[in-house]
Amino acid sequence: MNEFVERQMKLTWRPPKKSYDVVIVGAGGHGLATAYYLATRHGMSNVAVFERGYIGGGNSGRNTTIIRANYGIPAAVRFYQRSVDLYRGLEEETDRWLMHQQKGILWMAHSEAAVRAERMRAKLNTEFGAETEFVGPQQVHELCPQLDMSGGGRWPVLGASYHPQGATARHDRVVWALAEGAMQRGAHVHQNTPVEGLILDGERVAGVRTAAGDVAAGAVVSAVGGHVSRIAAMAGLRLPIRTHRLQAFVTNHYRQQFGPIVASSELFFYASQTARGEMLLGAEIDPQPSFSYRSSHDFVQDVCRRALCLLPFMSNLRVLRQWTGVCDMSPDYSPIMGQTGVPGFYLTTGWGTWGFKAIPAGGEQMAELIATGEVPELIAPFGLDRFARDRTMADRGSAGTH
Amino acid sequence: MATLLVDGQRVEARAGDSLLVAMLRTGVHPIGGGCLCMGGDCPNCLVTVDGVAYTRSCQVPARDGMVVRREHLGGEEPALLSDEPTSAGDAAPVRHVHCDTVVIGQGDSGREVAREARDAGLDVVTLDARDGQQVTGVYPGPLVVAADRAGRVLHVHPRREIVVATGAAEIQPIVPGSDLEGLVTARAAAELVAAGIDLGRAVAVGERPAGLPGDALVAHFPVGEGGWELVRFEGDGRIEAVIVRRHGDAGTTEERIECNTAVLGLGRNPCNALARMASDLPVRVVGSAAMEPELPPCPGDGTVCPCSGVTVADLDGVWERGFHEMELLKRATLAGTGTCQGGVCLPYLRSFLLQRGGRLQPAFTARPLNRQLTVRELAAGAHTAVTARSPLHDEHLSLGARMDRAGGWWRPWTYDRKDDEYRSVRERVSLGDVSSLGKMAISGPDAEAFLERIVPTRVATIRPGRCRYVLMLDERGYLLDDGMLCREADQDAGDRFFLTSTSGGSGFFELWLRDWVEAFSCDVRILNQTASLAAINVTGPLAARLLARAGARELPAFGRHRQARIAGVDCRVVRLSFTGELSYELHHPAADARTLWRRLLAAGAGFNVQPHGLETLLRLRLEKGHIVIGHDTDYDSTPRRLAHEWAVNLNKGDFVGRQAILRTNKQPLDKRLVTLLTDDPPPRETVEGPSAEGAAIHDGERYAGYVTSDAGTTAGGGAPMLGWLYLDAEGSLPREVTVDGRTARRVDGPTYDPEGERARAAVDIASESPQNVREFPVARPEATDLTAEAPAEPPRLRRLEATRVSATPKALDALVEQPPWPAGALAFRIAPDELLVTATPDLEVAGDPHAIVERETAFSYVWLDEAKAERFLERECEWRRPDARPAFAQGEVAGIPAKLWFEAWRTLVLTPAPFAAAFQRRLTRSLEEPDGDDA
Repeated sequence: MNEFVERQMKLTWRPPKKSYDVVIVGAGGHGLATAYYLATRHGMSNVAVFERGYIGGGNSGRNTTIIRANYGIPAAVRFYQRSVDLYRGLEEETDRWLMHQQKGILWMAHSEAAVRAERMRAKLNTEFGAETEFVGPQQVHELCPQLDMSGGGRWPVLGASYHPQGATARHDRVVWALAEGAMQRGAHVHQNTPVEGLILDGERVAGVRTAAGDVAAGAVVSAVGGHVSRIAAMAGLRLPIRTHRLQAFVTNHYRQQFGPIVASSELFFYASQTARGEMLLGAEIDPQPSFSYRSSHDFVQDVCRRALCLLPFMSNLRVLRQWTGVCDMSPDYSPIMGQTGVPGFYLTTGWGTWGFKAIPAGGEQMAELIATGEVPELIAPFGLDRFARDRTMADRGSAGTH
Repeated sequence: MATLLVDGQRVEARAGDSLLVAMLRTGVHPIGGGCLCMGGDCPNCLVTVDGVAYTRSCQVPARDGMVVRREHLGGEEPALLSDEPTSAGDAAPVRHVHCDTVVIGQGDSGREVAREARDAGLDVVTLDARDGQQVTGVYPGPLVVAADRAGRVLHVHPRREIVVATGAAEIQPIVPGSDLEGLVTARAAAELVAAGIDLGRAVAVGERPAGLPGDALVAHFPVGEGGWELVRFEGDGRIEAVIVRRHGDAGTTEERIECNTAVLGLGRNPCNALARMASDLPVRVVGSAAMEPELPPCPGDGTVCPCSGVTVADLDGVWERGFHEMELLKRATLAGTGTCQGGVCLPYLRSFLLQRGGRLQPAFTARPLNRQLTVRELAAGAHTAVTARSPLHDEHLSLGARMDRAGGWWRPWTYDRKDDEYRSVRERVSLGDVSSLGKMAISGPDAEAFLERIVPTRVATIRPGRCRYVLMLDERGYLLDDGMLCREADQDAGDRFFLTSTSGGSGFFELWLRDWVEAFSCDVRILNQTASLAAINVTGPLAARLLARAGARELPAFGRHRQARIAGVDCRVVRLSFTGELSYELHHPAADARTLWRRLLAAGAGFNVQPHGLETLLRLRLEKGHIVIGHDTDYDSTPRRLAHEWAVNLNKGDFVGRQAILRTNKQPLDKRLVTLLTDDPPPRETVEGPSAEGAAIHDGERYAGYVTSDAGTTAGGGAPMLGWLYLDAEGSLPREVTVDGRTARRVDGPTYDPEGERARAAVDIASESPQNVREFPVARPEATDLTAEAPAEPPRLRRLEATRVSATPKALDALVEQPPWPAGALAFRIAPDELLVTATPDLEVAGDPHAIVERETAFSYVWLDEAKAERFLERECEWRRPDARPAFAQGEVAGIPAKLWFEAWRTLVLTPAPFAAAFQRRLTRSLEEPDGDDA
């Protein structure tokens, strides 16, 4: 028997109505989390999520499932720590097994500059609630005995920042649990129903045109990934977003032996072992903007080469599958959440390579904004208007390896 | 005859046996049971071979000495850490193969296509699993990646076409008992019989198998037609009977027949995953791979996905709970996500979905990998990023330096005399290697106008022989880099500038400049001299006296530069200061760096001159409040936030970033990079190292920013820091703050020598004379007569004496027509506006008065004979080499930029000197690498 077969969740599909209080575009993690928190925290269930494909089929189903809060600027650390905390309670709250595993993340330093950067990260993170400490080579070795501390003789491990709350969860299950939770409380999710346009009432966005007909809405939220620029253009907005490919791969499954998540921002890769036993590796975005979902050989070749420097035990593991997601990158490497200046139209985007870890907090905060009309303090710095106001959220900590 | 060990048991293999055939002949079945397909399409023959788990035993030729473990799937999961010895950290060897057409699969249709293509005169490469070639993916390029039986990885680069002739997989049975041993597909049965393996009592189910002798079958049930239905297999571990049902007019009858083998002909499913990876490439699918998939009956019971252990009941469960899309079915059960990538289960998932009323989506793009290569095989042909070496690298090592990677270069971090390194700068004189600075020569009629548009400083007022600190901004007004801009004193060859960048910025510096040259259509020549010129910073109160002892007669005043011969080496001497002390940066040809460094140390022995490392430099500059790009700055660092408004002239006309600055200046300032000084000792646990970096700054209770730089307490007492400080509600910066519980005050200028008197000190060197050296002989480069050289054994890279020219393409065309260099010298057109000549003539570029002609010593070269060149490049050069001889080509080789000159019987390889050591290592290793076992 395969213990990883989903045996709990029940998805309930209903036909679309003509009108909802809130319409969310995109049934990925962020869209469904917004619906979930609207229903569970604010009693708002006259809500529909429209999805052009299947739920969680975009980046929510293509990411590397890492949850962490060790970002580079105070506002980001606070926000992601909220997400880490929500994730820790999500299995209990939904009564569903999400394969959440707190395993800690080690961020290697192979040079003095990196040692300083990791020390700095540890201090800043701890100050703002994301417990992180700088650990020396001996402790790194104890936390992850598989590491070649000499880095193949060329990338020695001089230390690492260690973020013990670093975790992983099964991405699909997170999506399904949020969908189920929202559906149970009356929210609708419509798969295979692309949103083709927005209905405008004067300046106000008053609904969506879908493949299944027009739907009126008190508020429309774009939680789209990958093609957000097109949805925003329908509302007359131009977003400072560029879309890039982000790739990853897994090996076949092997016995559980690899404890923490290991990352190196100088060798540009990170690795963890999934609950099922696969070694899962990712790296940075492709430098060229692209909407392509095609995987490249350069990626798997280079990451394998770099991984061998630190994790030579992987030498004879077989790589099973590689895949690609597309990331909406904002100019300052921080998400864009909140009001847009267009009445009735909300945005949650710019999720770059940090979208999965932000799902609960992003959904919770967007739900609060929509339900109360007040911008929650936690996401106030992340509004779209920050670019015009020269208040960008430059976050070096998230710009390296994610 | 080969002998192998399977779980400790000796297995004899015959010539031509696959591992699976050899095992079955000895009566050893892979663990886990299930129908064997012998085509690599199912997970039922997986074993661990020589420590590599998940190996398809049907696709691996049996080799003498193989150590096989059957532990797999049905048994325990393989361990991450193998007991077998591995060549840890090494990638597998690679071969790059270029051709017109690659044909994947050599069945009937594949052979036919290959023959036709060859007849048409095309260069054809064929890959076939039966030859032990496992094709893992088709990628943009186009590139076809395969592993061969010798353990090498092939990267096949077809120019015209990829033909996918991978045939079809036979559909596997999914009924109770389908995981018993003794089930084979029709094709596998024929292969086993051909190998002389007795099937015992064999029963055919489905299509009558071809290739079996008539007496091989005891019964045949044409399941799939005429109302026949396969019900289950019975047995205990191994099949003992087949149960079928017949639905006829007379009702339903069930038959049970005992057997030792069931031969299954349940239809076929095209193997087209490789083609689906490459929908936008010139790919052609032929033969059975192009057929429409056949749909088996919807499974009623049994294991659908043997890789993940998913049963029909599991599918039913998730379907009933609302998982109605194919992708949701797969994700919820993990069916199709194992080694065979849906080879077994996908046909059944389709029929399940249709039977339940779901919708089939069109065939999706296939994700690589088609066959699972190992990490070391996939890494084949890749190298980690190479770190550049200064020409003084070995000097630092011999002085006991600990080298560290910084900004893409190896830099001396410390010579392990930290305090003395610091004191030698502050109190005496010290040498620092700053060769890694980006360096760019810029000339041309538009040089001044061009620079005026890309730096925020006024360029027009930089007089010849002067230099000025400049910022480089992006269009958003954020700081990219900083450097110094020198205007040449000698204006004979037109107006010319020298611009530096930081070490970390030197990688994109040239691209950035050339982008703007293009954007503004400027008539400008650019020569990147980052590697060409080494640079030594002579710094400390005795710096001028040291230079005098090294033979300098005249030194530039502060903010000026001049050409001078120092210790026999021609240098550009620039007087600016990053350390805060009297400083001279000596820029000189890379080949002379070692001579100059040693002579300076010798000349300064009386002053106890010491070198200083990067760690000390970072501390020195912090006392002066100088920023380090990327460490103190972030993506939103405007000059105003950095307190660098003084380096921006908004009145001089437009420059890159000006519009953004005008716009953002209207916004209230939110934060500023400030210098903080504390007299409080650091907390005990953080006495080691630059402890306060990253620490929060508090203004009373208010969080007010964080520290970016801290170098600990300085000799003069007090610890200066740099940090971002947020303005308070009234819009002002607090004067006193706390950092880690220490009280710190904001200071307006540098904490060390605030007036800058030390850096600007007047010097008098009249009384000094050369010391410790009788004379400084001028280094006379020996002309390299390249063409007269024979390839050496073993091949060793050597430094090249050459000349580099940047001029208009037209002028270079003319120059190449009538070359003024000696016969035997080679000239390589490395760009339309750039020429590299392997000689050192006095060059005049007639057609371009603004041409930049410079001695170039930053290339290393090696001649390879024909055999070695072929051997090396087949492994390390991914791109297609020219066919003609002689020919010049350039691109990456062994992960390092290289220039290649192909002659009939030898090849010249040139690579930038900072990468020469790495190139030498990769060359030697590649030539020594074994060819692999071609057996």
